[in-house]
Amino acid sequence: MRQRLTYLLAFALTIPLAIPLYGASQLDVPSVAYRHRTLPNGMEVYSVRDTSIPRVAIQVWYRVGSKNDPPHRSGFAHLFEHIMFKSTKHMPSEFFDRLTEDVGGENNATTRDDSTNYYEVIPSNYLETLLWAEGERLASLTVNEANFKSERDVVKEEYRFRILAPPYGRLYYSLDKDSWQVHPYKRPGIGSIEDLDASTLSDVKKFHSTYYRPDNAVIVVAGDFDDAQLDGWVDKYLGTIPRPKTAIPRVTVKEPPHKELKRFTEYGPNVPLPAAAMTWIIPDARSADSAPLTVAAAVLGLGESSRAYQSLVYREKIANEVEIDADEREDAGLFIAFAIMSSNHKVSEGHKALRKEIDALAQKPVSEAELTKAKNQIIANILRERETNNGTAFEIGQSVVVEHDAAAVNKDIRKLQAVTPGDVKRVVETYLVKGKPTLIDYESQPGGGAK
Amino acid sequence: MKNVVTIVFALLLAVAAIGEQTTPPLPGPPRPLNIPTPADKTLPNGLRVIVIPKSGVPLIAARLMIKTGGEADPADKAGLADMTASLLTKGTTTKSAEEIARGVEALGSAIESGAGWDYSYVAISSLANNFGTAMTYVADVVRNPTFKTDEVDRLREQNIDALSVNLKDPAQLARFVASRVVYGGGAYGHNLGGTPKSLENIKREDAAAFHAKWYRPENAIFVVAGTITPDDAMAIAEKSFGDWKGVGEMPANAAEAGGATQNQEKPRVVVIDMPDAGQAAVIVTRRGLARTDPAYIASQVANAVLGAGYSSRLNEEIRIKRGLSYGAGSSFEFRREAGPFFATAQTKNESAGEVAGIINEQLSGMTSTSVPESELTPRKAVLLGNFGRALETEAGLVSRVAALALYGLPLGDLSHYISDVQGVTAEQVKGFAGTHFPDENVVIVGDMKKFGDEFKKRFPNAEIIPLAQLDLDSPTLRKP
Repeated sequence: MRQRLTYLLAFALTIPLAIPLYGASQLDVPSVAYRHRTLPNGMEVYSVRDTSIPRVAIQVWYRVGSKNDPPHRSGFAHLFEHIMFKSTKHMPSEFFDRLTEDVGGENNATTRDDSTNYYEVIPSNYLETLLWAEGERLASLTVNEANFKSERDVVKEEYRFRILAPPYGRLYYSLDKDSWQVHPYKRPGIGSIEDLDASTLSDVKKFHSTYYRPDNAVIVVAGDFDDAQLDGWVDKYLGTIPRPKTAIPRVTVKEPPHKELKRFTEYGPNVPLPAAAMTWIIPDARSADSAPLTVAAAVLGLGESSRAYQSLVYREKIANEVEIDADEREDAGLFIAFAIMSSNHKVSEGHKALRKEIDALAQKPVSEAELTKAKNQIIANILRERETNNGTAFEIGQSVVVEHDAAAVNKDIRKLQAVTPGDVKRVVETYLVKGKPTLIDYESQPGGGAK
Repeated sequence: MKNVVTIVFALLLAVAAIGEQTTPPLPGPPRPLNIPTPADKTLPNGLRVIVIPKSGVPLIAARLMIKTGGEADPADKAGLADMTASLLTKGTTTKSAEEIARGVEALGSAIESGAGWDYSYVAISSLANNFGTAMTYVADVVRNPTFKTDEVDRLREQNIDALSVNLKDPAQLARFVASRVVYGGGAYGHNLGGTPKSLENIKREDAAAFHAKWYRPENAIFVVAGTITPDDAMAIAEKSFGDWKGVGEMPANAAEAGGATQNQEKPRVVVIDMPDAGQAAVIVTRRGLARTDPAYIASQVANAVLGAGYSSRLNEEIRIKRGLSYGAGSSFEFRREAGPFFATAQTKNESAGEVAGIINEQLSGMTSTSVPESELTPRKAVLLGNFGRALETEAGLVSRVAALALYGLPLGDLSHYISDVQGVTAEQVKGFAGTHFPDENVVIVGDMKKFGDEFKKRFPNAEIIPLAQLDLDSPTLRKP
């Protein structure tokens, strides 16, 4: 591990008492060493070999996500992800569970705004079996009406589980809906009951043939395998799948800069404490400003030593919880700040206090010590993610699909380490102070104003 | 594991056509899993230190565990153990809450403290190269907390606010209610985090006294896992806790003195009516077993068939076949005395009764019919897979080993867990189910007006409690 010493500076805070010097050297993490191939049919293959335990993780990423939901079918990419566990030409429904869970492995999948990723973690002697199975569902998904309808009901229960049942579910649901003006990111990925009900089996077939093709897929294998065997199996089970001649439709809509502040009030039926949310549009994940924005979010909101926690939760006691996040995506990102208020405190106080912390970061450069702390928190979290084969595979897939560059898995850490106090000040000023936010008040109301 | 392979593929070959790519390629020979051997030593002051070295990413997880938790809360001060543990990081004789948070986070470390049943803990996740520095914070918060009044007041207010949110979440509230239903006025019956009323009763003196009484080396275990040698870890443990001494004599443990559980007279069906609840939370629950019960392994296998993992019977029947829930499952919570068994699912309000009925049917199915080997073998593989995955991360290793140490079980149990699970027979599972699955309580939190007539027919004796009438501090669950 490479170490770089940084200044040991006193931490300037509003408490003027003698606070002992604190300092920690900047952390570094070992690079991820991956191997890359592109198959003749366009599929990208990445692998990271680590034979310390007899297990292997497979991640298959498709460059299709909720932003690609067909018109009037919000939630469809996610519903489709569920259908990918149903039958194929040579596998009955839920056969992935027979090949994973039943032999001590696991599987799952996640639909995001820009991508859908499927994974299996299995005893390594099952690698060939699962590569075959991934090829099966890419090449020959078959699903019947009964399976489709029952899985659609499951997704409707997932909607209720995530959005309707938890007190703040409707707030999370509203963030994208209210923040984006034209980009399809504005349609919540979980969809709506109406749109889910409107979807049909023919939508499924069309979606599969449009987006599930080898030249729209990235496979990452991490763990215990032999390079030559892996290449042979990948060629045999995935390399033989034909590449369609048609073009893959892409979202080309650009979110314009927001010209004015927008304000929304959203309601939930069982909301004991109101919440204040603010969002701003930020650049895409490949932008040079992405790393400083990530650091700004950490300075403001990561951990109990962060500025917003210290101010809103600890000192002023106006909020019970704060969350600040730079959500970086393929086309553009969303900077999100929200506070669940303490009892007897108003949403307007939350908006004001969040704004004050953001303004302060634009007015005075962050100290080297506070900057190093924030970077160390971020970098340690990345290291924790890489503790498992599946975590490493996830990071590579995410880099390829969202940042269009596998090397970003290593470069991003260098970029974080290089962020200066001036960078943080500049991006906060550019995007958060000069940028026009969307403000959301989240309040309690019987009935909840949603279905 | 060989059995698994044979059965799965035999089934498939019977239905699939013969051909190079129409059947899944058979797996190669398996590689054995390496089970680590922990180093285990007791310091002269009575602190037990356990170290599990692990190669890989340079991370270390450690947990200082006190063998006393929420079961020792006084009846009118539910939440005291958790408040006490949470307050440790909120100020010591030399550092403020803010200095602790800032110092730990600057290292890239994360510190966490709280209480469970039978234990309280401070956990740290740290990079290997600054673990020694991170541990100075752990030692300080365990040994020198000040429980300042303003910190106690702040945390109490935060916890009361957080509880007000949990009490409006059907799934969370159903858990709180279920504990009362199963344990009545016994110590395991209250909420670990307390109630708005009980938290009001907790003062700084209570937390300081709880700390003085239970936080002592002879009532503690320190577990470390990660990229560190046993010698280095032992040296850090010695430096952090070697000169730690408790105040006065070690008291008898609250739970060992009995009273954590209370016998229930007859099963109850309790509905908490929450208007506008977005879904109904359904829990079928009863008293399970203690961690040291000889039936522990059989209970794990029986539960794997019933409700652990995606393809368990509950998820198969409720989610996969009927689309009634995003997920259904069950679990035993193992404690010093008999912890609870829960089978749970969330469903739309209209199907609450149907889901409760399916769970009950599946439970009774386990008692009347033996599980076929073709089902038993893959369900055992689920347990073994979970076990293997826990050993992959340092946090997983710590929690697995800490649980053995907490209940005085041999750490060598790790090395024969796989063969123990494989040795459980279908007859043992049926026998276990016959003793442990009948007489379940049903708890449902949801919007009662949507449950429908079918629900009333199915559960004619349900106790209906409007949310406004609910009192979690009372075994009857009703306000007087």
